[in-house]
Amino acid sequence: MPQVLPNFSNSVKLKYVKLGYQYLVNHILTFLLIPIMVGILFQIILLGPEEMLKIWQSLDIDLVQILCSSFLIILICTLYFMSKPRSIYLVDYACYKPPVTYRVPFSTFMEHSRLILKDNLKSVDFQMRILERSGLGEETCLPPAIQYIPPTPTMEAARGEAEEVIFSAIDSLMQKTGIKAKDIDILIVNCSLFSPTPSLSAMVVNKYKLRSNIKSYNLSGMGCSAGLISMDLARDLLQAHPNSYALVVSTEIITPNYYQGSERAMLLPNCLFRMGGAAILLSNKSRDKRRAKYRLVHVVRTHKGSDDKAYKCVYEQEDSEGKVGINLSKDLMVIAGEALKSNITTIGPLVLPASEQILFLFTLIGRKIFNPKWRPYIPDFKQAFEHFCIHAGGRAVIDELQKNLQLSSEHVEASRMTLHRFGNTSSSSLWYELSYIEAKGRMKKGDRVWQIAFGSGFKCNSAVWKCNRTIKTTTDGPWQDCIDRYPVHIPEIVKL
Amino acid sequence: MAEVSFICKRTVISTKPVQPAKFCPLSVLDRVMERNYLHIVLYYQSPVEQSPGELTKKLREANAEMLSSFPIITGRLLKTPEGHWTIKCNDAGMRMVEARAKGSVEEWLQNLDREKELQLVHWEEMFHKPYFWSTFYVKVTEFEEGGIAIGLSCTHLLSDPPCATMLMKAWADMTLGGKMISPPLFHPLPGRRPGNTKTNHDPYVELVDHYKSYIDMPAPVFDTKQATVTLRFEDEFVRRCITGISSEESSRTPFEALAALFWVVVSKVKGTKGGLTNMSICLDMRKVLGLDRGFFGNCMVYNKVNGDGIEGHELCEAANAIKEVVKKMDADGIMDLIEWLEARNCQNPPWMNGYDLICVNLEDVDSYSALFEDNARPLRASYYIEPPVGEGQILILPLPAGARDTFSRVVMITLPENEVKKLLEDALIQELSPTILMGLKKMPS
Repeated sequence: MPQVLPNFSNSVKLKYVKLGYQYLVNHILTFLLIPIMVGILFQIILLGPEEMLKIWQSLDIDLVQILCSSFLIILICTLYFMSKPRSIYLVDYACYKPPVTYRVPFSTFMEHSRLILKDNLKSVDFQMRILERSGLGEETCLPPAIQYIPPTPTMEAARGEAEEVIFSAIDSLMQKTGIKAKDIDILIVNCSLFSPTPSLSAMVVNKYKLRSNIKSYNLSGMGCSAGLISMDLARDLLQAHPNSYALVVSTEIITPNYYQGSERAMLLPNCLFRMGGAAILLSNKSRDKRRAKYRLVHVVRTHKGSDDKAYKCVYEQEDSEGKVGINLSKDLMVIAGEALKSNITTIGPLVLPASEQILFLFTLIGRKIFNPKWRPYIPDFKQAFEHFCIHAGGRAVIDELQKNLQLSSEHVEASRMTLHRFGNTSSSSLWYELSYIEAKGRMKKGDRVWQIAFGSGFKCNSAVWKCNRTIKTTTDGPWQDCIDRYPVHIPEIVKL
Repeated sequence: MAEVSFICKRTVISTKPVQPAKFCPLSVLDRVMERNYLHIVLYYQSPVEQSPGELTKKLREANAEMLSSFPIITGRLLKTPEGHWTIKCNDAGMRMVEARAKGSVEEWLQNLDREKELQLVHWEEMFHKPYFWSTFYVKVTEFEEGGIAIGLSCTHLLSDPPCATMLMKAWADMTLGGKMISPPLFHPLPGRRPGNTKTNHDPYVELVDHYKSYIDMPAPVFDTKQATVTLRFEDEFVRRCITGISSEESSRTPFEALAALFWVVVSKVKGTKGGLTNMSICLDMRKVLGLDRGFFGNCMVYNKVNGDGIEGHELCEAANAIKEVVKKMDADGIMDLIEWLEARNCQNPPWMNGYDLICVNLEDVDSYSALFEDNARPLRASYYIEPPVGEGQILILPLPAGARDTFSRVVMITLPENEVKKLLEDALIQELSPTILMGLKKMPS
């Protein structure tokens, strides 16, 4: 007993010391300016009004000088405002909610797997072990073509799924924001594995009768991080085009990508990927400043493709029977960790408060100069962000990030619950997670959100948003009927 | 020519996930029926101006909704440590096949035979590992020129014909109105009511012996090709048959009269000597045991009717014999059987339909109230208890849209092909002027 108390009181003391240090460093300007201002005010009061008037008259300023100085000030102000990048606002977003009849419980998935792979029981067992540890729930959804016995992934079925997902999401978004089709100036659609001709963005233009001078882009092949790449592209376009709306659609179409072979490393995506999609409306119009939900602060992209191992770690290829699937290599987690470290190194200085940056700098200098054995200081990102949206790529990804960034279980709750309820919906999972946080009523004005996504290549992309207005718990959205049941406890292994 | 073309096969999942780790044990009456399976086909006229596949989609979605109340159907078979079948409610779902057929439903019904009708149901024999085997199969066939046929197949282990009909009605209610009017009840068979035990009650030995004999018999042989015909008997002719048997109309039920009639005719057709052919009647014991109509599970009991010594023309004697057996099948008698089956714990299930002529009373089965659309009663309901081995089967069914006290009946007869021909030509049958709803397969001329 007495052994524990000193440790506890020590750690409490340390905590307060740390808090004091952070408060001091982060508000250093306030701490410096206030005494100076108080000092000046004191001086002025001491001098008295007559003295002030005498000093003013002795200055002897004439009209020309006043005019020049004011012109100079105005010029500097104008240059500043002109060169400032436009603020990009996220007006609103909508996530696709699959109908409940598309639900695939574990037992059905395993049964279908067994009926289709009846000659490869080892592969079926492997899939079962993956599912047990996957962190998915019983309500994730697959498209109808994949639920047939045997699955019939035709192009028509894939287009059908794309239409259903994308059009539902856009309809929902248009209803929420009140935007008309003719108002959309920029359209970006990202879907990694399904890329028909005409493209999915052309499909959207056709369905909604968008303007003929629309700037439309279709990103394919960029993996699960394509959502944030689209955000980056939209931001750059909105800088170039004033007074515009950009519609970004992120989705992944499952139908054509169901692996029908029995190679184990390629069966993993079948177990994890599920239907989902999101449509996001971005704007640089000043009138949206009031109604927008978020403002985009930073987008940081890191590409590790120059390293061969990273390049090949998520690789689409044919197996020995000629069936196409995505091969996930065994060192995926290690590569993801490296990519994350790279990304953090870039984003850290942009978002971390001065206190953390100084500590990091000191430990870095210390390790280089004094003693390489000092433990590297991992900056505390919880200081920089209130909410975290980690791409729900799989339970392992979330666990790894939670460990690396030293996050609490509440911080990763949105990611885990999205994985449980919707599965890995690829590029749109970040939006389901954001929707979860809003549905729980945790999003307040001024909160900062960090979205992290990983993707094939190997890429790690981050986006930082700042909440523009407190968001009341909504009565719509994909979580509306089940938010009360969450959070659920997800066991390590679900016994099938 | 393949008139029915396959579109797709999938699994329908319930809309609400089941509570994990639930088991539904099967009763002794369920387990004794392991060898058999059922088919039910309902035909409907479909409303005008519906695009192909639209009605099927509606049916499928209603089915998913309905399955949330039937976790036993979406579960899978597992053996308990004692070696009995039980259902693990693992939410695996039910198989559904979608198909399309040429022509209209009326045309189809006009030249129908057993083989054609069985194209409208989908069935898979139990797998070696039944944990991946769906116990229920639904097939929805849309006719290109109007009409729809819904075929339900299920293992007799879980459901008897009244139970399967209750399922169809629940599905229809869900499609039409979004909720089930009479939700199902899942509970074990009732025990013996303590107050009613008569002291020195003689156990119903004959019933127990009958089941015992089936259990001890070797597996039957499937060799003859069976054919099924459906005959419709109008009210006045059934009444005439009853008065023909005995002067008082009230002393005979239509079931007894028709069962006796067919017993005599089938014996004649088979050329049985020294009495009538061996026959068992199969009755629904729900009312006798005081069970609600919504009880899910098997509750039909077979019993032997003794035909020794009855001459071929003695309809009256035959009817009497049947009546005797029906009377004896009361609650105590059934309880004796249930208790004996529970004590016996037999591992090798018998072939309940495999040896004698079976006459099944399905008069109370209410398939005509299963309305999937407004004012669209089924045009016809066909029942099959498979596999068709043994001497033959006679199923006595009600008529569509009939008044409750009408004596008209539809009878489905399954016999070896040559015997069916002779039966249709028999004088006793001809006297009652039946309408042939489904006859023998027409040979191409």
